[in-house]
Amino acid sequence: MENVATHEDWKVCFSELAPGLVLFARQWVGSAADAEDVVQDAFVRFWRRNLSIKNRALLYAAVRSAALDLIRRDTRRARREAEVFGRAERSVQPQFEQLDDSQRELVAALDRLSRDQREVLVMKIWIELTFAEIAEALGISQNTAASRYRYALAALKKTFQPQ
Amino acid sequence: MNDFSELESELKKLRPAQPSAGLMSRVGSALADARESTAKVIRPQQFRINWLGLGLGLAAAATFLIFARVDFRPTDKTKQTVASATPFLQQKAAALPNYQATGLTQVVYSKRDEGLVFSPNAEAPSRRVRTAKRETLRWRDRRSGAQLAVSYPTEEVTLIPVSGQ
Repeated sequence: MENVATHEDWKVCFSELAPGLVLFARQWVGSAADAEDVVQDAFVRFWRRNLSIKNRALLYAAVRSAALDLIRRDTRRARREAEVFGRAERSVQPQFEQLDDSQRELVAALDRLSRDQREVLVMKIWIELTFAEIAEALGISQNTAASRYRYALAALKKTFQPQ
Repeated sequence: MNDFSELESELKKLRPAQPSAGLMSRVGSALADARESTAKVIRPQQFRINWLGLGLGLAAAATFLIFARVDFRPTDKTKQTVASATPFLQQKAAALPNYQATGLTQVVYSKRDEGLVFSPNAEAPSRRVRTAKRETLRWRDRRSGAQLAVSYPTEEVTLIPVSGQ
């Protein structure tokens, strides 16, 4: 089993995963800086436990856990959770490179998805996890993961027409 | 092919932004620190000393000692040290053969889900649930019917394995 802890060049491994990890972390935290902190925390935790890098579901579960920890450990926990989850429902946009007008429209449509749907969509499209891995990472059934994905695409299709 | 293939291909054209250059070096430093110092491993909460619980426990033990001394023992032995509290209790219990344990009551007054934790060497995360209870032990003197009760708070932490989440 390939392992983060014994990987001779963790930089190669991390540089491949980092954009997806940060994009995933942005689902919960409001800024890119916070998302990077979350990714750092989760990756180091993963490394310390000698977990297999091939277990992507567990890696993304660790990111999700670290993001929720970040929210919770603040002394103004209740207020911050309300703010963060409120933003997550409405205005936290995944960060993408070099968008044209059509793509900006698509990202805006993405932003209007519910957090549950956007979470599954991000994991499926950009991180390329299987529904089984998504289900494991989120603690839901594969059918639920697949349904959320289809509903997300259907919702996007209503508001965005590919050119 | 499904109805969404065109939309999926449009989505895949969006490329996630690269993280900042500093992230790689920060992760590198954190990994190096972790490698060099195992002392940085954070101990799970349940193994830290709960000073409040310890204090309340000692207070309950002291209360029990006072009851035992005043009510059930002659006054010839009045000098006891805190460090010998447990042997002292055992001596007292042995000296009170007529007293019989009659019940234990546990009242749960708080149960809190503290979220996911990653235990050392665990393959999967666990959900940590903290339960606060008050336990009351009762004894009864078979001859006189006199009753003795000791009540003290307890805290229990349970780790429930979860799949992925």
